[in-house]
Amino acid sequence: MNQPETRTDRYIGKRQARSEDLRLLTGRGVYTDDVSLPGMLQVAFHRSPVARGLIRSIDTSAARELPGVFAVLTAQDLERYQPNMLSFFLAPPVVPVPLLAVDRVCYVGDPVAMVIAQDRYIAEDAAGLITVEYEEEAPVVTLDDARQGPLVHPGTESNVAAATGADELDPDLEELLNSAPHLEVIEMKHQRISQSPMEPRGVVAAPQGSGEMTVYLSCQGPQLAARWFSQAFDLPQTTFRVISKDVGGSFGLKGQPWREETAVVAAALILGRPLKWIEDRLENLTSANQAREQDMKLRVAFDLEGNLIASHADYGINNGAYPHGADSNIAVMMFLWAAHKLQAFNFSAKGWFSNTVGLGAYRGPWALESLAREVLLDRAARKLKIDPIELRRKTLITRADQPTMTPMGLALEDISPAECLEELLKKVDVAAFRIEQAEARKQGRYLGLGFATYIEPTAGTAGVIVLISESCHIRIEPTGKVSAVVSTHSQGHGTQTTMAQVIAERLGVPFEDVTVYEDDSSRGGYGSGAYGSRQAVAGGGACIRAADLMADKIRAIAAHVFEARPEDVFIRGGRVHILGAREQVYSLRDIADVAYAEPERLPEGMEAGLETQYRYCPPALTLTSAAHACVVEVDVDTGFVRILRWVSSEDVGNMINPAVVEGQVAGGLAQAIGQVLFEEVSYDARGNPTAVTYKDYMLPTIFDVPVFEYLHGASAPSQTEGGFRGVGEGGCIVGPPTLVNAIADALAPFGELKLEFPLTPPRLLELIEGRPMGRRHG
Amino acid sequence: MKPAPFDYYAPSTIEEACGLLAEAGGGATILAGGQTLMPLLALRMSQPFLLVDINRIAALKGISRSAGSTRIGPITRQNEAIADATLGSAQPLLVTAVKHVGHHQTRNRGTIGGSIALGEPAAELPATAVALGASVEVRSAKRGKRRIAAEELYLGPYATALEFDELVTDIHVPEWPTGTRWMFRELAQRPGDFALVGLTGAITVQDGKVSRAGLAWFGMGPTPIKARQAEAALLGQSLDQLDHAAIAELAVADTAPFDDHHATSEYRRTVGRRMFARALRETLEAKA
Repeated sequence: MNQPETRTDRYIGKRQARSEDLRLLTGRGVYTDDVSLPGMLQVAFHRSPVARGLIRSIDTSAARELPGVFAVLTAQDLERYQPNMLSFFLAPPVVPVPLLAVDRVCYVGDPVAMVIAQDRYIAEDAAGLITVEYEEEAPVVTLDDARQGPLVHPGTESNVAAATGADELDPDLEELLNSAPHLEVIEMKHQRISQSPMEPRGVVAAPQGSGEMTVYLSCQGPQLAARWFSQAFDLPQTTFRVISKDVGGSFGLKGQPWREETAVVAAALILGRPLKWIEDRLENLTSANQAREQDMKLRVAFDLEGNLIASHADYGINNGAYPHGADSNIAVMMFLWAAHKLQAFNFSAKGWFSNTVGLGAYRGPWALESLAREVLLDRAARKLKIDPIELRRKTLITRADQPTMTPMGLALEDISPAECLEELLKKVDVAAFRIEQAEARKQGRYLGLGFATYIEPTAGTAGVIVLISESCHIRIEPTGKVSAVVSTHSQGHGTQTTMAQVIAERLGVPFEDVTVYEDDSSRGGYGSGAYGSRQAVAGGGACIRAADLMADKIRAIAAHVFEARPEDVFIRGGRVHILGAREQVYSLRDIADVAYAEPERLPEGMEAGLETQYRYCPPALTLTSAAHACVVEVDVDTGFVRILRWVSSEDVGNMINPAVVEGQVAGGLAQAIGQVLFEEVSYDARGNPTAVTYKDYMLPTIFDVPVFEYLHGASAPSQTEGGFRGVGEGGCIVGPPTLVNAIADALAPFGELKLEFPLTPPRLLELIEGRPMGRRHG
Repeated sequence: MKPAPFDYYAPSTIEEACGLLAEAGGGATILAGGQTLMPLLALRMSQPFLLVDINRIAALKGISRSAGSTRIGPITRQNEAIADATLGSAQPLLVTAVKHVGHHQTRNRGTIGGSIALGEPAAELPATAVALGASVEVRSAKRGKRRIAAEELYLGPYATALEFDELVTDIHVPEWPTGTRWMFRELAQRPGDFALVGLTGAITVQDGKVSRAGLAWFGMGPTPIKARQAEAALLGQSLDQLDHAAIAELAVADTAPFDDHHATSEYRRTVGRRMFARALRETLEAKA
C-alpha cells in the first residue's frame, strides 16, 4: 500500500512511520505508573459493596494501626479541600459530587475511604480492614427502575438528570406519523459499555514547597486537566502543572479528572506528600465511569416510494449516580437525521440517575443515532420491498442538495455520505453478492450484506467553552533543529508524528528534525487535547499557520542577510536555498546563528530568535462522512457470527497520514464489533456488577476483527486549514449499524432481529429457532 | 489487585511439598502454572496463608509410556505436552484438547496437572481425562499414595475429591486400542475462552461395530459430564445402523447445563444436541 515518494520532504499524506513507536514497542514509554518520586506513598480505596444505602458508621481504627499505613481518610477529612466538581464542559454538576461518599453510598464501588500507605499491597490490606455499617436500601439499577423507582439522590425532584425535547406529543407530527402510508417503529436497548483502555486511570500528585503541584495524569490533554483542577479547587492555574507523557488509550473515559484522581490531589494537598493511585482492572471495570446504556423508540413515517415524511424519537440514557456531566445526549437527536431529507421531526430525550457507575463519554457518545436510523432504514426497505441502497439514495442529502439547513438547525455545506456510498458500491458488487447469498441459502448457509452511512461532527467549537482554538508554538533552536509545542495530545494515536509531518512539510525540513511536545501543561498554551475528533483539524491547522509564519521569517532573514529577493528564497530538506546566477545554500543553523546571536544583522525591527506561534480556530463544525459495508455469515446451528468482509469508504478530507487514519477507523470498528457481539457491563437486581474481569467483560480479540478494506475516495472540499477533517470516532459510530444490518440481512428469512445488544449467540438462536432460549444470568 | 500477604515455599521434593500441605492444615494453596491462581490471588478471591510452589519438583515433570498407559507429570507445561512426540502418538485426543486450553502465551506456563486438579467445569482437560478413563495418583504425608479415577475426581465447580493435604504426582491415561476414533468439538465465543458447549471422547470400532466408547461434555454442568447413556447406546452397535440424533438426545439427557453470563441452559442443550449428532457422524464416517 505504500506509495513511492518522489520528493523526500513531502510528508502530508505519507504513511510516515510513527516516531513514538520505538519507545512504545520497546517498553520505554512513560505512563503514569512509570513515575516514581522520592517519598511517594500509594493510595487504595475502600469501596461500597452496597448499591444504595446509608452509612451508619465507619471504623478505620484497624486500618490505621497496620504497620506501613500513613493515613486513612474519609469524606470528613477531605472537607477542607472539597472541590467544586465540574463536568467536561466545566459546568457544575446537577447534584453535588463528593470525592468520597458522605452519609450515603450510591453504587457498588462508590469510594468510601482512602488508605495511604507505603506500598499498594499494604494499602489494599488496610482497605480490607475498614468496616462500614450500611443501612441497605432497594437500589435503582436499570432505566426502567429509574423511571419508576425511588430517588437516587434524595432532595431532587425526580431521577431525571437532564432532559431535552418535548414531553407532550406534537399533534401535527402525530397526525403525520399515524396517517403515513408506512410507519416503521423500532425499539432498541443498547447495553452498557466499559471504555476499557489498556492503561486504566492513574495519577501521581506531587505537591511542591511553593504551593505548586505537579500532577502526572493519565488524561486526554494536560492543558484541559490543569484548567479543570484549577477551577475545581479554585486555585490559580499556575498551581497545577499536569504532565501526561504516554497514555494507553482513553476512548472518552479520561476526558476529565473524576472522583478518585481528584481525591488523590486533595489528599496530597492535605498531607504534603507525593501520592500515587493507579486504577486496577477490577476498579476500572466496576468504578470508572461507563457509557452507552440507552433505550430508544423510533417511529418514522415513509411514503410508499420510501421518502421520509416524519420522525419521532423517545430516548433514555442511564446517567448512573455521578455522571461526568448530567446528560440527555442531545447530539443523538441532532445527528439522527442530519444528513437526510426529512423536515418533520420531534423527540423526547432524558438522562436518568441510577445506583450504578456514572455515565462517561465513549468514542462517538451520540452513536445511537446511526444505529437506530440505519437499522430502521433497512427494516423499512425490507417491508416496502425497496432496495436498501435505493432507499438511501432517495433519502440522503447529496452534494448537489447543499448548502442546506437541517430541521435541527445544522448548516450543511460539504457532507458527502451519498457520494461515499457510491464510491463504496464500486468495490462491493451487490448483484453478485445476492446470487452468492441465494446459492448459499440453498446449502443452509446464511450470508448477509449490510450497509450504513453517517456523518460525524468533528473539531466543533460552536458554543463549547472547552473546545476552542488550538495552539502551536514553533522554535528553531540555535542548533537548527525544530521544536514544536502543540496543544494536541495522544492516547497512543500518534499526534507527535502527525503534527510533526505537517510542520516538516510546511517548513521544508526533514521529518526527523522536528520534535513535537504535547505532554506538559506548563510548556504551551491552552488546548482541549484529544477530544471530539478535533486534533487533525484544529491542531493541524495551528501547525500549518505557525510553520508558515516561521518559513516567512526565515525567508525574510535570508533575503535580508544574503541580499536576495524573498521570493528567491526557499527552504527544502532543511536547507535554505537562494536562487540566483549561482544558487547559494545555507543551513537553518546559519539562519539561527544570525537570529539568536547577531540581531543587528536582522531586518530592522524584527524580533530576535526564531520562534513563531499561531492559535487556529477551526470552523464552527467540520463534518466527516462515510459509508461502510460488511458481509457476514451466521451459523444457524449456533447463532455465531463470522465477519467475512468489511469495506470502509470515507471522506476525511486531506489525510496527514493514511496509516493513522486507517488505524483510527480500524480501532473504532473493533469497538463496534465488541458492542454488537460481545461487550456488556451487566448488573444483577441488587446493583452488583456481574462482569468484573475480562473473562466476563468480553472484548473482541484479534481473532474477532477482520482485515478491513479502506477507500479514501469521495472528497468534498473542506473549509479547514489544510483541508483536514476529523476521523477519531467514526468507526465506532458507523460500525455497529453496518454489522447489525449485515446480520439482519443474513437472518431475514427468520424474521426481524430483537434489538437488544449485544447480539449474543443465544439471542440470535432465539430468532433462528423461533422460540425462547431463556435468560442469561448477570 | 495486589495479593493479600502469604508465606511462600518452593520445595524441591514431593515429600517436602506434602509435608508443607499437611502442616498448613488446609491453609495452603498449590502453585503450579498460576494461570488461574495468580489472577485469583490478585483479586483477593483466594487468600491462602501459604503458597506451595511445586515448579521446582523434578519428580513432577516428564511424560513416559509404559504398557497400555501414558504417565504425565502434573507440572508438564501445556505447550510441552503439545510438542511431545510420545504424547502425540499415544494420546492424540489429549493433545487436541490441550491445544484448546487458553492461548499460546498462557500454555507456556499453564500445566496439565493444574488444569486437571482445578476442576473448572467448562475446561477441556478434566472432561478429556474423564472421557479417556484417566486417573490421578496423589500423595499425602499421612496417608501415602492413592489413585482417583478422573470420573470420581470432580464433585462440583472447582470442587474435587482431593484432600487439602494431597498433591497430584502423576496422571495416568490409558491407551485406547487400534481402531479408536477421536472426537473433540468446542464452541467458545472467542478462541481461548472457556466452552459454551464442549464435547470430547473416544470411540473404538472393531469389525464395523462400536466396541468401546468414552464420551464427556464440558461446559454442560457443574462438573465434566460423562455421557453414560450415549456410551451404553453405542456399545455393540454397527456403524451403518446408528441413529445419530437419538444418541445425541441421550447424550444431552445426562447434562445439567446452567444459565450464566455467556449463555443459557436451553442454548447449551440445543447446540449440544446438534454438535453431538454431527460430531458423531463425522467421527464415525471418517476413515480410521
